[in-house]
Amino acid sequence: MIRLSGVELRRLVARRLTLIGVAGVLLITAIVLVATWNNARPESEDQRRQAQAQYEIAAKDWELHGAEYTKRCLEDYATMPDPKDPVEVYCQTNGPSIDQFLKPRAVFAEVMPEQLLGGSYLLVFAAFLIGASFVGAEFSSGSIGNWLTFEPRRMRVYGSKLLAAAIGMVPVAVVVYAMLLVGTFLIIDQVGITAGTTGKVWGDLTAQAGRGVLVTAVGAALGGVVGLLLRHTAAAIGVAMGYIVLVEGVFGGFLTKLQPWLVKLNFDAWIQHDATYYIDNCQPTSDGGYGCSTITKTLTFEHGAWYLAVVTVVLVALGAFVFSSRDIS
Amino acid sequence: MPRSGEASRGVGMPDLAIRTQALRKTYRTRRGKRVVAVQGLDLEVPVGGVHGFLGPNGSGKTTSIRMLLGLVRADAGTMMVFDQVVPEHLPDVVGRVGAIVESPKFFPTFSGRKNLELLADAIGAPRGRVGEVLEETSLGERGKDKFKTYSLGMKQRLAIAATLLKEPELLIFDEPTNGLDPAGIREIRETMRGLGEQGRTVLVSSHILAEVEQVADTVSIIGHGRLLASGTVAEVIGGSGRTTVKVAIDSPIDSPLGDPAAQREAATRILAAAGLTVRAEGNYLFVDGAEHPADVTRRLAQQELYVSELIPVRADLESVFLELTADEGLGGTR
Ligand SMILES: Nc1ncnc2c1ncn2[C@@H]1O[C@H](COP(=O)(O)OP(=O)(O)OP(=O)(O)O)[C@@H](O)[C@H]1O
Ligand SMILES: [Mg+2]
Repeated sequence: MIRLSGVELRRLVARRLTLIGVAGVLLITAIVLVATWNNARPESEDQRRQAQAQYEIAAKDWELHGAEYTKRCLEDYATMPDPKDPVEVYCQTNGPSIDQFLKPRAVFAEVMPEQLLGGSYLLVFAAFLIGASFVGAEFSSGSIGNWLTFEPRRMRVYGSKLLAAAIGMVPVAVVVYAMLLVGTFLIIDQVGITAGTTGKVWGDLTAQAGRGVLVTAVGAALGGVVGLLLRHTAAAIGVAMGYIVLVEGVFGGFLTKLQPWLVKLNFDAWIQHDATYYIDNCQPTSDGGYGCSTITKTLTFEHGAWYLAVVTVVLVALGAFVFSSRDIS
Repeated sequence: MPRSGEASRGVGMPDLAIRTQALRKTYRTRRGKRVVAVQGLDLEVPVGGVHGFLGPNGSGKTTSIRMLLGLVRADAGTMMVFDQVVPEHLPDVVGRVGAIVESPKFFPTFSGRKNLELLADAIGAPRGRVGEVLEETSLGERGKDKFKTYSLGMKQRLAIAATLLKEPELLIFDEPTNGLDPAGIREIRETMRGLGEQGRTVLVSSHILAEVEQVADTVSIIGHGRLLASGTVAEVIGGSGRTTVKVAIDSPIDSPLGDPAAQREAATRILAAAGLTVRAEGNYLFVDGAEHPADVTRRLAQQELYVSELIPVRADLESVFLELTADEGLGGTR
């Protein structure tokens, strides 16, 4: 099994689609870093002068009419029906400040978790594709039959393929997360705020990246399982895309209550350690109308972890069952 | 009417490389139809030499081979390879068995060499063996080209090279000459004969009989997934009970029987009346069932028909094969 995994790993590395996939992932990561730098960059001299000019106009206006605005706003507020936001939110009582006209400065500890989550989507997608093609192509080309005349123990063959796909993606994920963490830190250190990045923040970020590495490996293995089940790379990718668009997009969008049972939210909860989601809560109001509000809910890390573990075990077992009983012709 | 196992039931029991008993396989197609591919096949392949595995298209040759290799699951029956029950003990014997099933299939975007290296690594064969088998199959310099750029003949040679990585005692080739040109066919035939002469066992399936007849020491003929005949080539042909003689008539042109065509017609009538089967082909008559070729001459001479040529024709596997499989077709499946 170890020897066989080694052989499969060599095959994975020699495949063109693997190389293209990895190159694509690294390129996208580099582009993300450039975009990060672009977003976090302070405004140009020109933009700053414009902001200053706008601020001055607003400040002058406030000086002349501020008291009047406040008074009118407070009157309006008093006549509004409950429920309503607190008065501080509704009415401005202080004059404008220059910060309101300038771009907010990027804070590393705030930017990074989102960045890592985005990186996880990219990695899992690429890993699934590479894994699906790695195994699917053997079935579509028929070379699996030849392979089995050299190693007829199917469970070993199966295990070695999934293991190779998973192990092969680990260094890719490590490099991508390292690029994102170090790159973003250096960028924000130049143009934003990195102060307050405590050891705990670093610890959380590394843990998040670590969980990302793990799901990337699992994603590659599951790609392999789906490739084996469907026998074609294209079919595997098609099914994955169809699932994302139809189930996650359409169903998840309409039936927001379903979200805890869909992959994406559980994935987020696993990567980010808890994830929040929103459900619409519509009820008849006292005056006979119908009012809707949005309730914020949390999906726990444990829920995400269990969900992903169960999905993985079920798919891997299904693949094993199908492969062990399938006629290869 | 199966005539089975005459060769292997000779003096003592020769060792068998392959033995199947009552092997069955039914495929279920997507539309839920059932196709009986192999129905109760008893196959015995002796150790050493080339064994032809013959049958018309769709008779279950490939399916039987796939079952032996553990690629397809049998519904019933037992299979043994070198006295090991397969597929249960396949891992124990697979190192001694090299096989090419239908067309050779490798990773299309890898070079021939890379494909062989992966296989060698998988079975723990030394890497040096890869170069050797490439040389043996004269693929040496093309080894570094992608598999998908190979001609059919080269693909076939690469597949043979792959089986040789294991230094196998049993080689299974399923229609190895399919789609090859005459030179390619001869090359494969020579390879098979060479392997057989080295003392290895070669099982070669084919529906082209002429080709197998030239290399096979023993043959098995199947039809509709069942064994119809088996034994040495001579036994199978001899067992058909036929001697054919090719006859040319050469009576004087002023014979009362008329021109040569009329003479042939008359001869046909005379011989048919004597219980022989006659078939006309050009200027010749092919006469079956005569105990002695001289009988033919004598019967015709009595009627003043003179034979200018009389050549006994060896019954070939082809006609035996057609006879056997035609019977099977008429008899239908039980
Ligand atoms: N995967 C399959 N699914 C359904 N039916 C099949 C399958 N493979 C083979 N068959 C059927 O089983 C029967 C035997 O096929 P098989 O390929 O074993 O014959 P063969 O003797 O190798 O023929 P050929 O000389 O054409 O290669 C045929 O009727 C075929 O249609
Ligand atoms: Mg066939």
